[in-house]
Amino acid sequence: MNVDLPAGTRNYSYAKDMAIFRTRAHWALLLSLLVFVFTAPLYWGNYWLGVANLIGITIVAATGLNILTGYCGQLSIGHAGFIAVGAYTSAVLTNRFEWPFLVGLIAAGLVAGLIGLVFGIPSMRVKGFYLAISTIAAQFIIIWVINHWTGVTGGFTGIRVPPASIGGITFVSQASQFYLIMAITALTVFFAKNLARTRVGRAFVAIRDNDLAAEVMGINLFRYKFMAFFVGCFLAGIAGSLLAHWTGFMNAENFTFMDSILYIGMIIIGGSGTAVGPIFGVISIRMLQQGVMFISPMLEGSFLDLPAGFTTGIGPMVFGLVIVLFLILEPRGLAHRWALFRTSYRLWPFSY
Amino acid sequence: MDELLQFAITGVTVGMVYSLIALGFVLIWKSSGVANLALGQLVLLSSWFTYGMLVQAGLPLWLGFPLVILFSLALGWMIERFILRPLIAQPILSLITVTLGVAYFIEGAVSFIWPKSVAALPRIFPQEVVRIGTAVVSQEYLWAAAISLVLFILLSLYFKYNKMGVVMRATADDQLAIQACGIPVTKIFSRSWMLACMLAAIGGILMSSIGGITFGLAETGLKAFSVVILGGLDSFLGAILAGPIIGLAESLGGGYLTPLTWPGIREVIPFIIIIIVMFVKPYGLFGEPRIERI
Amino acid sequence: MNFKKTLKVAVVICLALIIAIIPLLSGGCAGGADSGNKVKVGFSICYTGVAAEKGRPMGNAKLDCMKYINEELGGVAGHQIEVIWRDNQYDAAKATTIINELISKGCLFFTTNSSKMMGASMEVANRAEFAGFTVFSAPALTHPPQHIYGQMPDYGDDWAAFARYYLENIWQGTGKAKMALHLLNNPTGYGARDAAQALADELGIEIVSIDEHTATTISEIESLTRIKALNPDILYISSTPQPTSIIIKNAVELGMYPDITIACGHASFTSVLVDLAGTNAEGVYGVFPTVNWGDNVPAMAKMTEYCQKYHPEDYGNMDYITSWAEGLIVAEILRLAIENVGVDNLTPQAAEEYGFKKLDNFDVGGLHGPVSYTPGDNRLSKSNRVFQIQGGAIVPISDWVEAPLIKYEDFEWFGK
Repeated sequence: MNVDLPAGTRNYSYAKDMAIFRTRAHWALLLSLLVFVFTAPLYWGNYWLGVANLIGITIVAATGLNILTGYCGQLSIGHAGFIAVGAYTSAVLTNRFEWPFLVGLIAAGLVAGLIGLVFGIPSMRVKGFYLAISTIAAQFIIIWVINHWTGVTGGFTGIRVPPASIGGITFVSQASQFYLIMAITALTVFFAKNLARTRVGRAFVAIRDNDLAAEVMGINLFRYKFMAFFVGCFLAGIAGSLLAHWTGFMNAENFTFMDSILYIGMIIIGGSGTAVGPIFGVISIRMLQQGVMFISPMLEGSFLDLPAGFTTGIGPMVFGLVIVLFLILEPRGLAHRWALFRTSYRLWPFSY
Repeated sequence: MDELLQFAITGVTVGMVYSLIALGFVLIWKSSGVANLALGQLVLLSSWFTYGMLVQAGLPLWLGFPLVILFSLALGWMIERFILRPLIAQPILSLITVTLGVAYFIEGAVSFIWPKSVAALPRIFPQEVVRIGTAVVSQEYLWAAAISLVLFILLSLYFKYNKMGVVMRATADDQLAIQACGIPVTKIFSRSWMLACMLAAIGGILMSSIGGITFGLAETGLKAFSVVILGGLDSFLGAILAGPIIGLAESLGGGYLTPLTWPGIREVIPFIIIIIVMFVKPYGLFGEPRIERI
Repeated sequence: MNFKKTLKVAVVICLALIIAIIPLLSGGCAGGADSGNKVKVGFSICYTGVAAEKGRPMGNAKLDCMKYINEELGGVAGHQIEVIWRDNQYDAAKATTIINELISKGCLFFTTNSSKMMGASMEVANRAEFAGFTVFSAPALTHPPQHIYGQMPDYGDDWAAFARYYLENIWQGTGKAKMALHLLNNPTGYGARDAAQALADELGIEIVSIDEHTATTISEIESLTRIKALNPDILYISSTPQPTSIIIKNAVELGMYPDITIACGHASFTSVLVDLAGTNAEGVYGVFPTVNWGDNVPAMAKMTEYCQKYHPEDYGNMDYITSWAEGLIVAEILRLAIENVGVDNLTPQAAEEYGFKKLDNFDVGGLHGPVSYTPGDNRLSKSNRVFQIQGGAIVPISDWVEAPLIKYEDFEWFGK
């Protein structure tokens, strides 16, 4: 920890040493970030707020996956399935039973967490890619059940989700949803950062690095692996609930296997096992996706007589290429580059 | 009884097609420990390339197929040389994710080169059905089954007796040790990617002669996942046996359970079976158990 | 070594910058341009992704049609149409951000082509009272009717149209005709189920089984074996071309076809089906809401010219026709809105009130049935036609039939 400190900063008490925001620069950055975020709706259009909302929701989901896969090392390729559980729990509770949004939100997290536990059971015996199939199975079984349990979920017809509302305030516009989603995102990131520093977080890391050694050291594998599954899927459920109220209409087709794989991609590109990793990963992938959508209409507008397949092919090609280049150039994720940058900034001008 | 026979034969033959795709996955895993997420996209790309050779260029079969195989070998070489080689010795999850990037890239490249959205290959196999007792099976599946068996035998022999095969096995075991022995690991990886792409190409030709070429081919990789997990990620024998098992489970499960449950149960049955198998045999039916050391 | 590292850092930073800047740049380009004389519409198209098979010809068609209207007809009522289109890649999250963008870019309304994409866009649009229509739709989108419209009869109407045709012209038995449904596992497939559930009893058809398949199926022998045992008179498939061709082929192999009648909904009934299924598809019935290529209707010449010129690979694909018609409807809505309220007062609300709702018997160059708005029914065109594959060509065998509105929202089982 101390290595990270800027030159000339000393901590004189344990509490200070452990604080997340330690220096004045930290507080200044935090404040400006908060000011920026809470005034954003003033100068961002509807579209950018929409994108920010999507990014916020995805950060919550990716943070959950990061706890499960990045910290605890339990590879999950079914995250979209758990998000679907959260989305439908919330949708069913708020639409069919007309329960308040907050209850739906919490219930979404809990139900997704419990379902996560069920599919986490095989983690007792297998790991790595073998465990991944159990989560892939989760994805397919969950979607199948949602599609056919027509009496509750509406099945293939889909289900409408009322806008989120807390105590009389209804979050309809993108700007109002932006505050809701950003608040939850901030809470999640803060929670994840803290979780990683507790006994639980350290146990997760021990299990990831070598579960046998961890067990020998007295870490209860059963308990901590389950805990990781619960927390990871709980956050997926929360993200699902937010997604449902943001989209307004749920169809199980919205939660594809490709999405699950992409979530893994996000935390790898961001840097798995770090608190900032998911944030970087989600922002870069989501922005890249948005950027790619503009490329072909833009090129189409500026150059005439492009080959027929050009407009359709260029988007995914650029997307794939950037992912490949990112990983070749920075295989340890953006968080690693960030850490290097931070260290050199702190030590500046004394680079060694 | 007639139904049972029909279900069983359908299951086994369809399962052999899954096996064929799964072999390519196992090959890469066996020699480098990388899960190739771009498998389906490789199948898609080589199917379109076959279309380009046979339909667009109008080449005869005897010339078209070798060209497709050559193309797939070159493709495999390029993927390894330019994308995976720079990542040697990096965290394995990064390697897996990079194949995801490859998947998107190929998908884009396919739309780029072939703006058509659907195409049919010329019929390669005779259309008459074969009757086994009261059951019918179309020849395409039988051919696919035969081809995957032959490929399986060739691959197993290669890995067992050829020096390169032995070296591949050793590489998967311990890359550092093998490098210390003076064996170029890069060459092994390159070889295994070339072979895997060739398998994908053969799979692509078979799949698209059955159902035509659509973007759906990109998702065939998925079926292969469940097959390899059931069979064991590093076992050719596992892949060749698990395919028919999954096929049977789908066919019998779909056949007898659909009336009792909801439609579409066929798609989830393999996963339910796999979860059960994992409790009994955590490393798949034929996978090598890992000995854990601290 | 050090140099290499610096290079690496530089490249990473560049990449990050590019990602950040692309959207900003293009946002600036599109928004900054002077659009005084232009009217904006938004298209959300599934150009790539798993639905590209249908999305691509449709996207090509509507963009070509816009080109035609702007260049040859000089726009609508003297105003050029500015198209803002995005590739949603058949991804729900992207579709939702796209709809937000289209709203904030000042589009008057939007269109998209599939039920899934409309599902992901429609609540945002409904909440913003931003009207839009979708080419292919499942009943759930327009029931209950809000701000979302369907260009053509939905998948359920296909089923109803065929069932009526069958009972009148083909069915010769006594008692109830037995029908097996084979559905794609998404709203395309289950739209037909909804109609069957609502109408089968009333019409005198017994649904003996409901099976589903995925878009990537390679064999349906298993499900067809079961269906065969139930001895149905009709097999109705609501799906896309590729799985449909597999089902037809397997039915031939099992010896079921041509003894029974096979019929398809409009999502699969295109020339692609004939390409894929070959001679097996001979005699298959299908419901389709548009005319066929080469038919003698007013809009055919221009459409063929543009298709051959810009996208020859789509010639013969019925989806191109549907979306060319979509383009014509877009222009008509804009024309009505401009004439009724004037170009300066155009808002999305005005476009809906004076564009969509004023549509009255607009003839889309004969490409499909006339387009009108009737209160309470958000389907714009309501006519269907039954076709049959004869000699490798898709031949119409019935006149246009009006598809009556089915009040799905009155049924208990229909989701909210």
